[in-house]
Amino acid sequence: MYLEIITPENKLFAGEAELVKLPGSSGSFEVLMNHAPTISTLTEGQIKVKDSRGNVAYFEIRSGVVEVKHNNIIVLVDASTSPE
Amino acid sequence: MANLKEMRLRIVSVKSTQQVTRAMKMVSAAKLRKAQDAIIQIRPYAEKLHEILVSLVDQNGSSDFENKYAVHKETKKILIVAITSNRGLCGGFNSNVIKKVEELLATTYDSYHEKGLVDILAIGKKAVDGLKAKNIAVSETVHKLYDNLNYSSAETIAQRLMDAFSNGEYDRIDLVYNQFKNAAIQKLTVEQFLPVEITEESGPDADPHHYFSNYIFEPDVNEIMGTIIPKSLKIQFFKAILDSVASEHGARMTAMHKATDNASELVRALNLQYNKARQSAITGEILEIVSGANALQGS
Repeated sequence: MYLEIITPENKLFAGEAELVKLPGSSGSFEVLMNHAPTISTLTEGQIKVKDSRGNVAYFEIRSGVVEVKHNNIIVLVDASTSPE
Repeated sequence: MANLKEMRLRIVSVKSTQQVTRAMKMVSAAKLRKAQDAIIQIRPYAEKLHEILVSLVDQNGSSDFENKYAVHKETKKILIVAITSNRGLCGGFNSNVIKKVEELLATTYDSYHEKGLVDILAIGKKAVDGLKAKNIAVSETVHKLYDNLNYSSAETIAQRLMDAFSNGEYDRIDLVYNQFKNAAIQKLTVEQFLPVEITEESGPDADPHHYFSNYIFEPDVNEIMGTIIPKSLKIQFFKAILDSVASEHGARMTAMHKATDNASELVRALNLQYNKARQSAITGEILEIVSGANALQGS
């Protein structure tokens, strides 16, 4: 599935992902292949991304929105900084 | 012909001015590229946000949304946000904004202005100076935004505007700024910032992939709308600022290009004049020598 993590200033991630863990407003949740279409708001926390080769990356976010649709995941986040 | 030296100095000074304007043009071109990149960066975010908003509205209809930023109240107090630059030398860029604000006060918001119900928030030093010169009171100013322009600093101002709207300080907020078309063209725009108009994209060509994928909404639709609308407002504001910055550099680039051209034209004319003067000085000198020699021979 294709994942994009976008902030107003740049793109943090764009590419194939196997697993995405998101800090949803009503609890953390994971998105895998063929997830049902979802729109959800996100709270402060960490996004965990496991890409197709098994590498894991983390992104800190302050708030955001996610849309999951037909294995396309778009995460719009605000003022996030990827940990150095 | 005593002014030969003066003319030489003049030519030198015009040439050095030309060098300055040429350098400024180069600098503006570089900054313009950066500003354009920033606009391109923000585009995907803005588009996706809009997409999500549209799919929300699509599925639920726009009428039953209640949002504190979308309330249409009776307009009592208006805020105009004039977005200009901190620096000048960019053609009509700043004065256009100032003129537009003046025009708005004299036409659309005429009756409000008379009662003192229109406040102006000036972003950029030039707006403050220009409006002051026209005796228009500026209620608040923001200069520091451009020192280190990023999303979070723009967000802070946007948030303040939104708060002022939601707690009833203002009933309508307009943005006046230059929209960026390309390096040579800026479009002066007056945009309603608040209250929000949720546009429902209906009509035959509205949405090409108009299928109802039944979304799961977490936590619920109203909550999501509550987060998305402020976000899109902040993006709208940030985009206005970025547009204005790009326009500023575009306008300055064009202005400096013209100035450089004018300077070369001036140098050409001055050189011609200088050479003519020099020639006639030489001719005069030869004439004197020859006639002097003739006079000696004659005696």
